[in-house]
Amino acid sequence: MSKGLAFDKLREILLEKDWEEREEFAQKLSDLDDQLNSRNRLEEKIQPILDDERESLRHRFPDLFGPQITETISKQIRESQDEVVEALYPILGRMIKKYITSEIEKLSEKVDEQMKLAFSWEAWKIRIKAWFTGTPQKNMIISKLIEPKIEEIFIVEKQSGMLMGSFSKNHSVDQEMIAAMLTAIKTFVEDAFKSETQELDSIDYDNYKIVIKNFKSFFIAVVTSGGMSMAFRDKLDDTLLDFAEKVLRKAKDADEEVKQERITSGLEQYFDNFDKNE
Amino acid sequence: MNKKVILVGHFGVGKTSLVQQFVYSKFSEKYLTTIGVKIDKKVVEFDGYQMTLLIWDIAGETEQNSVSKSYKLGSHGIIYVFDLTRPSTYENLDKQLDYLKTLLPNAPIQILGNKKDLISEEELNSIKESIPLSFKATSAKTGEHVEEAFIDLAKAML
Repeated sequence: MSKGLAFDKLREILLEKDWEEREEFAQKLSDLDDQLNSRNRLEEKIQPILDDERESLRHRFPDLFGPQITETISKQIRESQDEVVEALYPILGRMIKKYITSEIEKLSEKVDEQMKLAFSWEAWKIRIKAWFTGTPQKNMIISKLIEPKIEEIFIVEKQSGMLMGSFSKNHSVDQEMIAAMLTAIKTFVEDAFKSETQELDSIDYDNYKIVIKNFKSFFIAVVTSGGMSMAFRDKLDDTLLDFAEKVLRKAKDADEEVKQERITSGLEQYFDNFDKNE
Repeated sequence: MNKKVILVGHFGVGKTSLVQQFVYSKFSEKYLTTIGVKIDKKVVEFDGYQMTLLIWDIAGETEQNSVSKSYKLGSHGIIYVFDLTRPSTYENLDKQLDYLKTLLPNAPIQILGNKKDLISEEELNSIKESIPLSFKATSAKTGEHVEEAFIDLAKAML
């Protein structure tokens, strides 16, 4: 064997494995290059990862970016108040218009009802009353349209806030909780203003007015809706005083259950037809 | 039968969490301080009796006499809560209870050491030795002894 041939043989023996590996690497590199430079194949590989990330971000978005978004919006509103008003104006305008339209429709329906009754005994009563009292007839009709109504009455022990009896037209609220909360509100207001002799006597909420009549050991809270007139308030005060004297005083010494029963039936007797007699 | 129960004690001892656990069987790690008073209601039944508890959860203060006494008046029962992990909440327990007894002489008092889940049995025993009054160790988090505490008070109010 010549020297050159022997050297070639030796090189082949020594480097054969390296060549195989090099070819394998070259193939892998070519595949990778193909994957990276071919959009479809790259998408195929990366899309599941992106989908997972997007899904995870969707869930964590409020936590991750909530404060920054809130801050940005607040800043934008602060800095561009005119633009915000301009953007909101049409929406608010439409909402207000819709509300007013609906209220006018309701009023119109009620006026229609009244007009139908124009020659009824009720209408003549209003005319005569208007003539005697000097109140314009239209005012009397309007006050009739928004006449006050009693919705609920709670008789509540003053210090404990325990419900002694109640009257309700719709029984939609937890009366014991309301009685306790009213006591807490009363206590808070009276404490806050350190008024030993003055007591909270009314709370206004939306279309409701809660009239509170204070007695020594209890208070009566009357929830009314509609427009509260002086005549209604007077009549309510008189009826509550009469009720307190005739029903509550007698029920005072009875045991808890009997007391509650007597008060509740007394309330029904006094207030079931209260609005109708108005 | 309706009864007014008040929950009193230092701020952050877990009064609101105890009520949440008792009334709604819920617990939250979030701490939201009570402002003024929060009222909840629960009907309990025991030994053939049915009792409606109106629970007034009163905002915590370090001294009971600095809380508006008007919220406490007329109460039929008292739950005094302290925090087993904060000695400052039970250091002047005697004084606080004396004040409540003077204000509401006829109301039974249930004393609760709350956050039992955060201390070991050894620590609990050592606290029991340092406090001369008997109390119930509760955990608003796990619910341990919570219902029992309210029912025991209800029985005492009969």
